[in-house]
Amino acid sequence: MPKWKRFRPGPDDTLVVSLAEEELGLLRSLPAQLTEVFAGADDDPARARLFPRAYLDPTAESEEAEWQALVHPSLLRERLDALELITATLGRAEPVGDWWQIGLTPDEAQAWLGVLNDTRLVLGTRLGVTEEERELDPADPEAGGYALYQWLTWLQGDLVDALL
Amino acid sequence: MTAPVEVQEPAIEEVTVTDKPWIVIVWNDPVNLMNYVVYVFQKLFGYSRKKATRLMRQVHEEGRAIVSDGTIEKCEADVARLHAHGLWATMEHPS
Repeated sequence: MPKWKRFRPGPDDTLVVSLAEEELGLLRSLPAQLTEVFAGADDDPARARLFPRAYLDPTAESEEAEWQALVHPSLLRERLDALELITATLGRAEPVGDWWQIGLTPDEAQAWLGVLNDTRLVLGTRLGVTEEERELDPADPEAGGYALYQWLTWLQGDLVDALL
Repeated sequence: MTAPVEVQEPAIEEVTVTDKPWIVIVWNDPVNLMNYVVYVFQKLFGYSRKKATRLMRQVHEEGRAIVSDGTIEKCEADVARLHAHGLWATMEHPS
């Protein structure tokens, strides 16, 4: 997929994102996948990566439990809200030539940033990514997931550049 | 027989545990992007680009960096914000 700047400043503090049709489809499939991870088992490493411990000290179990009880519902709520927001924005993509464009308010751009990052955390955990790039044979069962991971990495990097 | 010695109680030093602040640590991970980590430090803590970049580099090169400190309540809130942004953060009290 062509890699030119996809997030550009638009009017009134908006960012305009341009996507190919298949990219739009990929992004539309993310919220359902993330919702499943959020609702999944506590011992799922991907879920644990999204909701890690605050107290590293294993003897601080009561503090940890109190903190989790206090903040987990709002951390989950925020993530679900971001999924709703990105879904709404993807629903109003407009065709411009061969591309689809969406104008994002600052809040919507933050939702995109969060969803892209969360998806990469989940995929990265599942694929066991390291800081070294991998060369996967296209026949490798992980090749598709890794390609998606790399594309999301690039897209998120572009969004951050637009926000910085 | 030795007469019991009168033991003088040592004065208890006034040491309050609140003197030392709690610290928030961000750990290196292979997924979070360098520019994203800089962006999050700027957004959450109001750090300059320069300071945020220095902390990001420290996380990347040394594996961890102290990104904020303060009361236990402040650190718990900071860790929650960092987790909301997908960074791997923990808190501890240096002893």
